[in-house]
Amino acid sequence: MSRSSRQIDLSPSKLRELADEDLMELVCNNEAAAFEVVMERHVNAAFSLAYRMIGRRALAEDVVQEALLSLWRGGARYDRSRGSVRNWILGITHHRAVDSLRRDALRTARNVSDDDLHERLEAPEQTEVEVVRRDEAKEVRTALDALPAEQVRVIELAYFGGFTHTEIAAMLGLPVGTVKGRMRLGLEKMRSRLSTSEAVT
Amino acid sequence: MSRSDQSPECEQREQAAAYALRALRHEEAESYREHLDGCARCRADVSSLQPVVDSLPVAVPRVVASQELRSRVMTTVRSEAELLHAAGAGADRPQSARPRWRSRRLQALTVAVAMGVGVLVGAVVLDTGSQGPASRVTPAQLGSLPAGAKAVLRQVGGHAELVVSGVSQPPSGKIYQLWLAREGSAPQATDALFGVNHSGNASVNVPGSLAGVHQVMVTAEPIGGSSHPTSTPIIVATLPSS
Repeated sequence: MSRSSRQIDLSPSKLRELADEDLMELVCNNEAAAFEVVMERHVNAAFSLAYRMIGRRALAEDVVQEALLSLWRGGARYDRSRGSVRNWILGITHHRAVDSLRRDALRTARNVSDDDLHERLEAPEQTEVEVVRRDEAKEVRTALDALPAEQVRVIELAYFGGFTHTEIAAMLGLPVGTVKGRMRLGLEKMRSRLSTSEAVT
Repeated sequence: MSRSDQSPECEQREQAAAYALRALRHEEAESYREHLDGCARCRADVSSLQPVVDSLPVAVPRVVASQELRSRVMTTVRSEAELLHAAGAGADRPQSARPRWRSRRLQALTVAVAMGVGVLVGAVVLDTGSQGPASRVTPAQLGSLPAGAKAVLRQVGGHAELVVSGVSQPPSGKIYQLWLAREGSAPQATDALFGVNHSGNASVNVPGSLAGVHQVMVTAEPIGGSSHPTSTPIIVATLPSS
């Protein structure tokens, strides 16, 4: 079948009405305008994650650019049964950021440097989606804060720091088994907390 | 090391959280993935923890991505979309309203490539009209790829990209890697690793300089790439020596 997307109205306003999953089908047909809508929806979330992990704007932008282009080029590998487009984009971004952290010996300069303190916080939008998202963010933060500090520590070092469990064990002077145990306990506790508040489905 | 143990007391159970957090080393993650294929218990553990991990990004402070980043991404996306639409025109779609001279030349080019004509037919200079600098397009020779596969190397100014279509997915556990070969020396690894979309399309930026480069090649390599090619190239673009 050839390019059924041709029959679809691809004007920006129509595209913006489509769900991510439908836009991804157009992206598979190399429709740049559809990709732009997907990108606009998620680029801030992806950049926020990369920036939180890497702490430097230029490197974080490189990571997000790579992630977005790999989404564009490999859009077909998006499998809707495995979660939302947003999670998928954030997953690629996370993956790329971990690669970048492990590849470059950035570890010493990992914290947000003074140069970047002018970073603009995202302007609050009053859309329904944004309100839901902020509630969700609050729930996740609350669930994280409710964990014992030792569990938060290993989860953050792993997920945001890109460190492996053996690196974390060495860093904290703990047996690897203890580190893995804390990861599991922490995530399980968060899960039960989040599932009662239904932030995680 | 890949155990197919389905008992509730699987020894690998402690790996699930570290795996979901991507805190396993590359090789550990690989072998755990193999283990997951055979262990329903661990699969269930991972899928119950994964949503928690996926929720972590919402907790980070939200910062705004720059306009430059957006434009950079969209510039690449638009140029690739245009090229892929043009390259795919002869293959899967009737003529559209694209500038006719251009699609005809690209078609001639891609037909030549699809027929496996020679190693290269010299570079074709496409004048892109008022759209900026001329681009030079070099068709590539294809190894074992499905009929209809196409690959061209496109150079604009100092920048080059490899545009492919109709290329099969890399074998499971593999990814395509781009190499730069200079006369008389072993191919140099690049960090350009890529897959193709469901139409077999991809457009890959060639990292670094093409100065002195004789061939741009693609091989299938283990995820993560290799430092030396471990398989026969499926795509070889030989640059005109000028």
